Amino acid sequence: MKKVKNLALTLVSIMLMSSLAACGGNNNGGNKAAEGNTGNNAASTNAPATEGANTEPAEKVELSFWTLGNVNYEELATEYTKEHPNVTIKVQNTGDQTAHHNNLTTALSAGSGAPDIFQLEIGFMERFLGAQDKFYNLNDLGAKDIQANYLDWKWKQASSIDGSFQLGLPTDIGPTVVYYRTDLAEAAGLPSDPEGFSAAIDTWDKFATVAKAFKEKTGKYFSDLTDLTYNALRDQSADEIYFSKADGTFIGDTNPQVKKAYDFTVKGIQEGWISNVMLWSPEWGQGMNDGSFAVVMGPAWMAGNIKSNAPDSSGKWKIAQLPEGAGNWGGSFITLPKEGKHPKEAYDFIQWLVNKDNQLESFKTKGLMPSIPALYEDPAFVDFKDDFFGGQQTAVEFGKAANRVKPVYYGPLHDQTDTFFKNALKNVLEKKADPAKEWEDAVKQSKTLAERG
Amino acid sequence: MAEPVLASPHAESKRPFLTEQRRSRFTAYTFISPFFILFSIFGLYPIFFTFYLSFFKWDALGPMKYVGFKNYDLITSDPTFWISFSNTLIMGLMGTVPQVFLALLLAVLLHSGMTRFKKTFRILYFMPNITSIVAVTLVFSTLFGNNGMINWLLNGIGVESMAFNSGWWGVKIAISTMVMWRWTGYNAILFLSGLQSIPMDLYESARIDGANRRQQLFSITLPLLKPFIIFVTLQSTIGALQLFTEPYVFLGQSGTGSTRQEGITMVTYLYSEAFRNGFFGTAAATAVLLFLVTILFSVLNMLISRSGSRETGGKKA
Repeated sequence: MKKVKNLALTLVSIMLMSSLAACGGNNNGGNKAAEGNTGNNAASTNAPATEGANTEPAEKVELSFWTLGNVNYEELATEYTKEHPNVTIKVQNTGDQTAHHNNLTTALSAGSGAPDIFQLEIGFMERFLGAQDKFYNLNDLGAKDIQANYLDWKWKQASSIDGSFQLGLPTDIGPTVVYYRTDLAEAAGLPSDPEGFSAAIDTWDKFATVAKAFKEKTGKYFSDLTDLTYNALRDQSADEIYFSKADGTFIGDTNPQVKKAYDFTVKGIQEGWISNVMLWSPEWGQGMNDGSFAVVMGPAWMAGNIKSNAPDSSGKWKIAQLPEGAGNWGGSFITLPKEGKHPKEAYDFIQWLVNKDNQLESFKTKGLMPSIPALYEDPAFVDFKDDFFGGQQTAVEFGKAANRVKPVYYGPLHDQTDTFFKNALKNVLEKKADPAKEWEDAVKQSKTLAERG
Repeated sequence: MAEPVLASPHAESKRPFLTEQRRSRFTAYTFISPFFILFSIFGLYPIFFTFYLSFFKWDALGPMKYVGFKNYDLITSDPTFWISFSNTLIMGLMGTVPQVFLALLLAVLLHSGMTRFKKTFRILYFMPNITSIVAVTLVFSTLFGNNGMINWLLNGIGVESMAFNSGWWGVKIAISTMVMWRWTGYNAILFLSGLQSIPMDLYESARIDGANRRQQLFSITLPLLKPFIIFVTLQSTIGALQLFTEPYVFLGQSGTGSTRQEGITMVTYLYSEAFRNGFFGTAAATAVLLFLVTILFSVLNMLISRSGSRETGGKKA
């Protein structure tokens, strides 16, 4: 009796152990998908998919898709699923781009947990372009055939130096413009039509003069916050910002445009026409809605944020050109991490997602500026009038800005380095710190960080 | 136990391998093995890998490159690391020292008077500890906001608003308040169980000898509570060195949200090295240094408490 009991206990504990070990072991994504499929198929009349038949075209395929920010890809994915009933796309959206890309880094290095499809932001491109063994080469899947449709500089941002490896397909670009409140402009005696407003601020010096006068006249702030003011000038840098394109060394301290952006923002703080709110904070959104500042300088995709932040101010906004040229902030690429088991289906979906019709659709709903230049002359694009922007033909303004963009190199530590300079400006604004000393500190911190790269 | 060396091996092999004793031993080891297996996968392996990793340069995607002690050099020459180190110590002191006293006071109060709602109070004390830290931090973030309730109260009594999310002291006060709120009740419950283990007749005989309440506290309660005090202090010290979630959520941007690293702790520094900047080598080196600091403080704690207990031990004898 005792023997039997002992044996039973031993067996149970072995089973327990092996089940626990299975948790830590390799849980193959393909199996998981297969399990899901059998579940789905059981409901329908067809026989459940047999194991190992993953490449059959009619087989049900589940794709996970990590999207970033204010995009309409979930809606498009639903539409795609209607036409391709065998494909299910699970969309997971994140607002925090640092977390979004870190999650992918963690998943890739762990070898599990990465999605089939990943939306990669240009600011993080350098980090992943070096990890080609972790992604599918889209050229192998047929990307070369559609390359000519897209803006050349945009396409090359996601290519290896020799062009043989293509990491992602281009989505939107982010040409920067000035979003402004027409009601506030009128109240301050400024021209409220886009041409007139653009002309009134066509150099940064004029911008500062107008801003100061606006503050004195209305008591309201002209620019929303330090970060976006700084960005507008920073992104007008030629070729590179903080890091050298040639050897990747830190050059932020000697780049005249970075210094100009810093000094201009400091001037705005000292003259009191930049509001003290934080980017993406509720106060910022509230300020847009209530009209506590006149302009928001941002890229085309910012239109989506303004619409969702300030629903009450619909019709009061218009879009004008930035002084002294445009910049490009953001814009992403759709990539396929190698963990995905269905590259063919995934590629079919993503090349559909970024085709001409869908880029037009993303532009209409979220203001995502297309990276397909053929659209810039397409009447469907140019004639689109946005009621939120007082019926303005917004595409015309974005197109104008897109033509003024000079592409720049970012480098893998762009985001972190940028934070040091933004913090310096915040210290000047909130703590009345000495701008020159803050600049030195930011440069020092950047150099410390760059040493590790 | 000394078996004769002469025993022939043949005699051994004749016996079946799975004797009754071996079998029951095997069963016993099998039963406790899940812990050891899981611990070596999720505990031991990462620990040794961290030591190993601290000598490499690695971005988690590409190949690892051996760099020797360079990671340690980089960290110890980074002013931000030293800011995180001093922040951890300052917030550790601010969060733990008053907390242990407060917990002790609460426990004594609960133990002596208030016998009626003892159970209710015990639950109330414990509640903060089982609330999600993230939720707590979010609530405190609104309290400590620039136009939050705390500043409103401060203004009400004629004190100027404090910049709780960007001031040097402000950030530290806000974060250590969150830590205190979370752990005071928990420690009070620990102290309470200690108080309840003290036999009542000690107090009775003391009272007969004419000891007043103060004397009872200092001659009976505190000395007998010593093991609990040592445990709570040690636990709080280790906890304070690992402070992470509160600054991480409160300050935003992976815990580096305050502009001059007013609230960066060693663990948030480690986190941002690894997951924000992608430097896993320096992050591992930070972890090793944190490990050393923790050991140092635990040993210090033990030395202090040992010298203390020797003293009381002498008195008792």
